[in-house]
Amino acid sequence: MKKNIILLILSVVLIYPIQAQKYITKDGVIDIFSETSFFTIKAKNQKVASILNVENGEIVASTLVRSFKFREALVEEHFNENYMESHLFPKALFKGKITNYSEIDLSKDGTYKVIIEGTFSLHGETRNLKTPCTLVVKSGTISGKTEFYVSLQNYKIKIEDQYKDRIKDEIKLEIHFDYKPM
Amino acid sequence: MKIKFTFFTLLFLFAGSNLYSQDDLMDLLEEQVEEESQEVAYTFKSTRVINSHSIERMKARQLDFRINHRFGEVKQGWYDLWGLDNALISFDFGYGINDWLMVGFRRSTYKKMYDGSLKFSLFRQTTGSHQFPVAISYYTNMGIYSLKEEDENFKFTNRFSYTHQILAARKFTEAISLQIMPTYVHRNLVDYNEKNDVFAVGIGGRYKFLRRVAFTFEYFWANHTASSDKYYNPLSFGFDIETGGHVFQLFFTNSQIMEESGYITETMGSWADGGIYFGFNISRVFAIGGHKKE
Repeated sequence: MKKNIILLILSVVLIYPIQAQKYITKDGVIDIFSETSFFTIKAKNQKVASILNVENGEIVASTLVRSFKFREALVEEHFNENYMESHLFPKALFKGKITNYSEIDLSKDGTYKVIIEGTFSLHGETRNLKTPCTLVVKSGTISGKTEFYVSLQNYKIKIEDQYKDRIKDEIKLEIHFDYKPM
Repeated sequence: MKIKFTFFTLLFLFAGSNLYSQDDLMDLLEEQVEEESQEVAYTFKSTRVINSHSIERMKARQLDFRINHRFGEVKQGWYDLWGLDNALISFDFGYGINDWLMVGFRRSTYKKMYDGSLKFSLFRQTTGSHQFPVAISYYTNMGIYSLKEEDENFKFTNRFSYTHQILAARKFTEAISLQIMPTYVHRNLVDYNEKNDVFAVGIGGRYKFLRRVAFTFEYFWANHTASSDKYYNPLSFGFDIETGGHVFQLFFTNSQIMEESGYITETMGSWADGGIYFGFNISRVFAIGGHKKE
């Protein structure tokens, strides 16, 4: 019995640091941006959740499409109803990993350039995504920043011909996550 | 027993380490994020079903400017160009103070009416962790008509009328929404054989059959029309057509009046006798002020 208790304590002690190998954020930020000579579209999502497993460099992120907030309520409505169809495809997901993870050591403070590769799911479509990213490790927190472009056509998001001069096919995403130990 | 225990401990240790794949990590993420309740949004395309208000309100710092027309009786035919010569119009502003209160101001041709309104979004239809089956708004307005009265002793307060409405709507599917509207209207001055207080129940709905087009209808049953040979219950059918920046509402109705105390209590047209009018509302929404913060 005693042995069991020791084992139990030992396992808890051993599991604990392993659990701490994961970093999480629930209020990550994604800004989306599109500009044509007719029309600028800007929106902010401050409810993006993500986990970074520093043991192997795996990253996942998830958010509700409805969490993108626009200045103009009407544009937000069109974004949800007509283009993203968020009632059918409520979430945007990313699953991937840092490909050059063996070259860096996130246990030390510093700024690291990494490449993230994985799959991005949006509007019911899943596509490969590869993007450079900057990680900043500082006193136990990790912040990650990246930006990339998403082609609407690629994710089967249809823009009517008469609005093509207002909405670009390539939408810029700026991403900023501040991770804390889980 | 001991073997089992050791086995589970080992399993635990492994589970905590490298065995996680990205899918497991995604599952872990889903566990960590509490499910929020989601508002069922966009029950109607605009703040009106046709004549009546819908549960939709203007969101914070959004201004809705509407120009509404009701043409003359269609049965007048070619001579009046099917009513186009005799239009009533109203200019209508609605502004979102915050996400649950909209204030409105309107000037209508009929009796040269000014009216101010408030619409409170009390409950939202939600899914997810907290579910609520309907959206409920409370609408109230006060109208003052400014048409000249000949009588010198005519009291100013005689010009007042009031409306109170509970709007309860449910979005059943992306296409189908229904709304019921218990209504109370009080007019300070009425004809000698009419009641000051009128109770009515309205029903309205939409069927959105295309991405940007919906069929709409609306009907009010009012408690004074059965005993009246002058007034009818308002019934309207139409379409909501949405373009990039505007919502057009085109419809046929037997009420030429646009303000609540008018169309609910004083609808003079009769569908049976061809007393119908063509009308449209044009809505344009502007964002006023800074970037929306969440």
